[in-house]
Amino acid sequence: MTHTFIIAQRVLSQLKGDRRFLALSIFAPLLIIYFLKLMFDTFPSFVDVKSNTIPISAFIVHFLSFILCAVLLVQERTRGTLERMMIGGFSKTSIIGGYSLGYFGLATLQAITVLTESIWLFNLSYDTKTVVLLFIVIWLLAIVSVMLGIFISTFAKHEAHVFPFIPLIILPSVFLTGLIIKPDGLPIWAVIIGKCLPLHYAVNIIHEIVKPEYKIIDTLVDFGVLTGYIFGLLGLASLTLKETE
Amino acid sequence: MNAIEIENLSKYYGKLRALNSMSLEVPEGTIYGLVGPNGSGKTTLIKVLVGSLHPNSGFIKVLGLDPLKDKWKLRKQIGYMPQSPALYDDLSARNNIMFFGKAQNVPDLKKKADEILSFAELTSRANDMVGTFSGGMKKRVSLCCALIHNPRIIFLDEPTAAVDPHLKMQSWILFRKLAQSGVTIFISTHQMDEAMLCDKVTILRNGEILAVDTPQNILQRGKTNLKISVNNEEKVSTIDSTPKSLADELKKYGLEKNITSVELHSSNIEDIILSIVHEKEKEEKS
Ligand SMILES: Nc1ncnc2c1ncn2[C@@H]1O[C@H](COP(=O)(O)OP(=O)(O)O)[C@@H](O)[C@H]1O
Ligand SMILES: [Mg+2]
Repeated sequence: MTHTFIIAQRVLSQLKGDRRFLALSIFAPLLIIYFLKLMFDTFPSFVDVKSNTIPISAFIVHFLSFILCAVLLVQERTRGTLERMMIGGFSKTSIIGGYSLGYFGLATLQAITVLTESIWLFNLSYDTKTVVLLFIVIWLLAIVSVMLGIFISTFAKHEAHVFPFIPLIILPSVFLTGLIIKPDGLPIWAVIIGKCLPLHYAVNIIHEIVKPEYKIIDTLVDFGVLTGYIFGLLGLASLTLKETE
Repeated sequence: MNAIEIENLSKYYGKLRALNSMSLEVPEGTIYGLVGPNGSGKTTLIKVLVGSLHPNSGFIKVLGLDPLKDKWKLRKQIGYMPQSPALYDDLSARNNIMFFGKAQNVPDLKKKADEILSFAELTSRANDMVGTFSGGMKKRVSLCCALIHNPRIIFLDEPTAAVDPHLKMQSWILFRKLAQSGVTIFISTHQMDEAMLCDKVTILRNGEILAVDTPQNILQRGKTNLKISVNNEEKVSTIDSTPKSLADELKKYGLEKNITSVELHSSNIEDIILSIVHEKEKEEKS
């Protein structure tokens, strides 16, 4: 367990030391959301942009957390530090645990800044309970993305190997999970694929939360699935991360 | 006791045979050199020994333990310096060393890190990011990371490549000191002259052992060119490098006053190792 904290601490001090990385993971989402605002401003007023704002913000966090975490871990493999950690006495579980814990902090920061900006830019008037719940969803999704990044990184020998996973996982998330259009009209197989993607559940919850008649009980299953993804991916990653080749 | 025992070890990368049914023994407390050109299998052998690569077949014991089955016991006792620096560019030299030290629960880590930094002559740069270091400096930080927990056996993959001559010598002085205190050092190098500094040397080519011997014995496989002037008349001969052959050759001339000069040119260890490697190449071609 102490090994997990040692690695988490190292990941955090690396993040702190790497200004560009920090800027990319915190300010890039904010900038993208501002662009979103500019685009939405050109839409005719009868289009309901407000209900799409938070899901799209959540998607941006999802995408960036996934890519950044995966690339950083693959970098450890190509530089040989992953091998060195293992031979140096760190276990697989402490490596995965340490990475998750380190990114926990970053994910929290991302969820807070993105949510704050969206609410402020789009003049969204939600009560405190809604805001807290929205925060929890985005935060959970960010953690799922980190786990997904860890899992995917175990298949990549080089940084470039991460990129094919963008069209494979991230783009279907855009089209099939209800982010832009309701998936009801899609063919059944596409709906099923959509339901395999974690973003689907986050978007679902967000759409429910902002309804005035919302009760937590309505989204308990979706919350459960999202949490399930965290542990499922954690388990899968510890299976696919190899100590020896 | 033997620190390392290997029998019939083979390792394939797909079809490529990187190690071919190799056997060797490394006694505890020795500096054991693995010498060979690029691609001869040095890195592969070290990775198999530290338990980072699965061998295809063969028997391995490191400190009496199996590198894969007993990995947790073994990892406490081995130090490993990979061929690439394997450091965090965005951490300072000290933090890199501390990180790997913490993994091994090194007692009094701060003090130990300061000591080792000062040995590596890195004290003044200790708090700078490793990303700003030169190749040789990174090698030194990497060496510190491998030594921080006082391992019983140390695997060093080309530790002195790109290190300047002064620090290279310092490193070898440290290796010698460590060996005297009972630490086994398994070191690979493609710089043939470093073979002279080892207790025993294995010459490797294409995953096969060409020779295992002490550097002194290897030196004696070389030839000596002898130029003797008798009454100002030059006589040239080639003999082997043992002191006895030299004495015998000189005896022919009776060691008399009419020998006006004796010039010796013995092949150095680099020439000899290269000729061993080349001989094997010729043999395979014919
Ligand atoms: N991961 C790998 N995949 C395929 N071939 C490899 C791999 N690593 C090394 N080799 C090959 O195995 C042989 C031995 O390599 P290596 O052990 O790195 O030699 P050395 O360290 O002596 O330069 C070389 O022919 C090299 O190309
Ligand atoms: Mg090598």
